[in-house]
Amino acid sequence: MDTISNMLYGFQVVLTFQNILFVFIGVLAGTLIGMLPGLGPISAIAIMIPLSYGMDPASALILMAGVYYGAVFGGSTSSILLNAPGISGTVATSFDGYPLAKQGMAGKALAIAAISSFAGGTVSVVALMLVAPLMASFAVSFGPTEYFALMLLGLTAIASLSEGSTVKALISATIGLIIATIGVDQQTGTQRFTFGSPNLLEGIDFLIIALGLFALAEVCSLILSRKSKMMGGNTNVGSLKITKKEAKDISGPIARHSVLGFILGVLPGAGATIASFMSYITEKKISKDPSSFGKGNIKGLAAPETSNNAATSGAFVPLLTLGIPGSGTTAVLLGALLVVGVQPGPLMLTDHPDVFWGVIASMYLGNIFLLVLNLPLIPFIARILYIPKALLISLVIIFCMIGVYGVSFSTFDLYLLLAFGIIGFIMRLINFPAAPLILAFILGGMMEQSFRQALTISNGSYMTFFDSTVTVVLLVLSVLSLTLPFIKSKLSKKKEEEEKEHLAS
Amino acid sequence: MKKRKSMFMSLLLGSALVMSACGSSESSSSSSADGGEWSPTKPIEMIAPAGAGGGWDTTARTISKVMEKENVIDKRMAVANKPGGGGAVGWSYVDKKGGDHTLFVTSPPILFVPLNGQSDLGHNDFTPIAGVIADYSAFTVPANSPYDSMNDLVEALKEDPTSVSVVGDSSPGSMDHMAFVKAVKAAGVDIKQLKYVSAQDGSGMSMLLGNKVDVYSTGLAEATEQARAGKVKVLAVTSPEPLEGETVSEFPTLKEQGIDDEFIVWRGIMGPKDMSAEARAFYEQAVKDMMETDEWKAQRDNFGWNDNFMSGEEFQAFLDQEKETMESLLKEVGLAK
Repeated sequence: MDTISNMLYGFQVVLTFQNILFVFIGVLAGTLIGMLPGLGPISAIAIMIPLSYGMDPASALILMAGVYYGAVFGGSTSSILLNAPGISGTVATSFDGYPLAKQGMAGKALAIAAISSFAGGTVSVVALMLVAPLMASFAVSFGPTEYFALMLLGLTAIASLSEGSTVKALISATIGLIIATIGVDQQTGTQRFTFGSPNLLEGIDFLIIALGLFALAEVCSLILSRKSKMMGGNTNVGSLKITKKEAKDISGPIARHSVLGFILGVLPGAGATIASFMSYITEKKISKDPSSFGKGNIKGLAAPETSNNAATSGAFVPLLTLGIPGSGTTAVLLGALLVVGVQPGPLMLTDHPDVFWGVIASMYLGNIFLLVLNLPLIPFIARILYIPKALLISLVIIFCMIGVYGVSFSTFDLYLLLAFGIIGFIMRLINFPAAPLILAFILGGMMEQSFRQALTISNGSYMTFFDSTVTVVLLVLSVLSLTLPFIKSKLSKKKEEEEKEHLAS
Repeated sequence: MKKRKSMFMSLLLGSALVMSACGSSESSSSSSADGGEWSPTKPIEMIAPAGAGGGWDTTARTISKVMEKENVIDKRMAVANKPGGGGAVGWSYVDKKGGDHTLFVTSPPILFVPLNGQSDLGHNDFTPIAGVIADYSAFTVPANSPYDSMNDLVEALKEDPTSVSVVGDSSPGSMDHMAFVKAVKAAGVDIKQLKYVSAQDGSGMSMLLGNKVDVYSTGLAEATEQARAGKVKVLAVTSPEPLEGETVSEFPTLKEQGIDDEFIVWRGIMGPKDMSAEARAFYEQAVKDMMETDEWKAQRDNFGWNDNFMSGEEFQAFLDQEKETMESLLKEVGLAK
């Protein structure tokens, strides 16, 4: 009952001409900025903040939240069309999205991404509305041991991200883990692998690695293989139509990952990027046909796209109920609230119910706007692929550089980008998968820190990892995820042998 | 790690607009500092040695906007971000650039980062121009914590320093850590065995609320809202005098609890080492004039800052003193490089 009246109140806040306009402006700006490789929601919100000054706090947050989920919505576009992730949350989108586009199904891939994003966004807003106050305690229930176990579970999936050689996947992952250790060690303040360069003190930004390994490496391959039709000069983006069978295929992942994404989004340590990877991996693991992942499987596209948008709404739970930023982007939103005179914190719901319920209500509207905006635009956006190859490749390189430079304003990072482009290209030549590297990088850093934080708190006792039920469950799942494939393959081999014997006799 | 900084990113940008929006306020002190002596001949570059976000950035942008809006300096003052290395990248930029038209905003890390061996440049490699604002640390525990006062906590630490885990958002040997170390040392705790957990992804508050750690050493602003909601208890603030204002006035200072210590999270402005004495005097006066304007006061209150003007000389002496204190503390906890 309460929820309904609160929601009505929220819609009352949103459904004024002014606020509807702000939702629209927010999602439009967000989705356009998100489409550009490298420019993520943080930059997008930064651009919008000056506009919000002097605005009513609810309107300001409505606008900026719109930019945020708009950017996550739009971020899939460049992942799919150019293999250049628009934001870190859409790296996993490129795994199957780009192969689809390569096969001349860019239109369909974009449509699936839009629909998954819409579904993930909407389902998670409903969840946000219904359970936000209840989820608040869940958000802080994860401490160092829980995060360690969660990241470990993610890492155990690395073998499943490989095409072919598991050994190569593990080597690639190891390199990712090594890169994650670069910088000042957070727990001791010791410099690791910085070689005395102040530029490396804070480690390497995720985006540099992602754009280098994916976008630049792809560009290199395209330059060398002139026959390839992809990226430019392509006259076929395919139809937007999704067949009944395809709709049925993606309904499962959408349902699953709306929930998973939301839950991971609520956890302050996880967020959209980890959620999208976890969803991709989960979907691949439970798939009957895992070998088709990475080659243009629509489930592999729908899963991360649903998940990253669901996680975006989830990230509003700690923000709105506790005043704790769950991610870099929500931290910026927190700052934006300060500017308009709202002190973010646990009392926001009582002090500023218009902000709380207004933002939630605006997200329903925003998601509808995004779908309506994006679907008709797809044929036009996909025309990017008609741009002559030489021109398009140059554009991709320029955008990657702008994206990287725009984050750090450091030329050093541009050289790093180049270095990772070359590494990515070499890895392709010798058939090393890049996905395990990026996954290990993103999970590894946090896993290490959580592990050591846990041990500091427990005075070095490993028993701390068995104190919490959540940790134990996650650890058991990790062990299963690691061993089950081996057991399975052994069993099936045995079966085959038995069958052979059977036939022979 | 960058979260706390980015939290404020919005502030700065917002404040930019604030100021331009309030364009009507009269300029109060346009020509206070020229008087025929030195004055800038070209636009001034104000460096925030961090990314957009962060206290440095907010401060830099707020100062530059108030300066421009109120015509304190008749040249443009453009803010540039030089993030990296906890400030080291920006400092090295200012050092290389030199001259009379480059300034930067700074705070305790200019002492901590070199002491931790992460920068060759320290406060003595620059020209202190003026101290501007002060903030304080707050030591918080969960609402259901057995500790009700700083002295309860100190007792527990004295009995067994490893029984209490302290979390902070900055690295070991930096602000959040050393503010706490300094306070409990003043209370007579053996600081060598203190347990400090660094949560540079900004998860300190969530660890505290989830009862994963015992104490969270943080900035005043972060603690206030949670305390107002009854989620945490603030055992002590590090201000020399009790604070004024709703909620914050309820926080006991260390001194009120018989611990003779304070910790100021100061922010100020510095220039390159080779800055001329005339230019330094000009900027010092400009900062002073700026802090008199109503526009500044409005901004300051909006961000919850406290004025803490120090002349260049006072600033230099204060920094020398702080550095000495921190160096010996860091040595004692085994973090000095």
